[in-house]
Amino acid sequence: MVETVIDLWTKYDYVYINGLLGTIYLAAITVFIATIIGTVIAIMKLSEIKIFDFITALYIGVLRGTPILLQLYFFWLVLPKITPFELSDTVCIVIALIVNASAYVAEIIRAGIQAVDKGQTEAAKSLGLSDANTMKKIILPQAIKNILPALGNEYITMIKQTSLASVFFVGELMTSYKTVQSATFLAVPSLVIVGIIYLIITTILSKGLNIFERRLRLNDM
Amino acid sequence: MTCKKIFEVKDLSKSFGKLEVLKNINESIYEAEVVCIIGPSGSGKSTFLRCLNLLEKPTSGKVFFEDVDISDKSIKINKYRQKIGMVFQSFNVFPHLTVLENITLTPVLEKKVSKEDAKNDAFELLKRVGLFDKRDEYPTRLSGGQKQRLAIVRALAMKPDVMLFDEPTSALDPEMVKEVLEVIKDLAKSNMTIVIVTHEMGFAREVSDRILFMDEGIIAEQGTPSEIFDNPQNERTIEFLGKVL
Repeated sequence: MVETVIDLWTKYDYVYINGLLGTIYLAAITVFIATIIGTVIAIMKLSEIKIFDFITALYIGVLRGTPILLQLYFFWLVLPKITPFELSDTVCIVIALIVNASAYVAEIIRAGIQAVDKGQTEAAKSLGLSDANTMKKIILPQAIKNILPALGNEYITMIKQTSLASVFFVGELMTSYKTVQSATFLAVPSLVIVGIIYLIITTILSKGLNIFERRLRLNDM
Repeated sequence: MTCKKIFEVKDLSKSFGKLEVLKNINESIYEAEVVCIIGPSGSGKSTFLRCLNLLEKPTSGKVFFEDVDISDKSIKINKYRQKIGMVFQSFNVFPHLTVLENITLTPVLEKKVSKEDAKNDAFELLKRVGLFDKRDEYPTRLSGGQKQRLAIVRALAMKPDVMLFDEPTSALDPEMVKEVLEVIKDLAKSNMTIVIVTHEMGFAREVSDRILFMDEGIIAEQGTPSEIFDNPQNERTIEFLGKVL
């Protein structure tokens, strides 16, 4: 078994490495754009405008209440039909991943902001700070300490979720597994290789996150 | 006493859902006056105070600050709040800023005071309340009494025309109550207009020009400290003072 794994790796390492690059690419785009969109949605949700509250509640509710695989299928099927220009499978899947992740990011940011003691807002307002300065100088610097660790965990989850793109044969790590498996008929050794690569990335990121969290807490002292 | 009105409240009512907390209150606060609001819990004292700087929006009625209707929705309320200092029961100092930054933040951002001037003002204020040595500490290192003194000078740094205190000593350990009350007393002597919601009856008696007794959303009785404490007329006032004194 160990030998087969090593053999497979020596022979097909470029396939896996390409897959890894695909995964990193998908995850990076998703994380980056989902964070921006998620922030906007969180701000809309926190605003006291009723229509925004309704729209964002619906958006977050649907995206968190249905399976991500269903959402990928939905975007993959529907997007090409409603856009006037050609969309590759990859683009459809990336958009779906971003939309899904943005809902989770929005909830993390909203919760982080709302976890800041209400007295802080009241004190800032009573001093005569504008709403924008209250957010920027008082609420966000405190909320960020709640948000960042949770966001880091969400990013790790996103990396694992990009594997669902393999269902649509979008180039990433799990698709590499399929490629090698169909060429060699060796399923389990290929899975082991891919699994180890995922484990390495997620472990590195969790460790990095732990160090970062400890730093944040030190600043509190 | 001068006759300039700092606050004038007209037909002020406030409800939270079905609960009517303030019932049609009419009252004025005059310049350089020290007014203490006393009364049982749930009588609407804090809500009344919080309506004065619009932290609570009145359900109906108007609040005038220096003859401007600040309950008017089209008004830029933060400009007026800069002249109305407020101190809370739970201090609400900013934990991510140093003692000095807590004080200088708003003057620099909102009043465009230069950093240097803001810092000098802050030093003066910190010396006044004995916190100068703590200027570079974060609030987590301060005791409750020190946090509350910081909250007071943070509000004073905006050079307000009036100070509102919402049960400023209720969250303090007993041995720290005095140091905070001393600061408020000094402030009262400096002719600042002050409105205080408090349970410290001895302090209220000593420092006030006028006492308002609130009960069930109305100002049930008011008068000088000796009128209220020595010769209360209202049955509810008598009952309340009987319990707390």
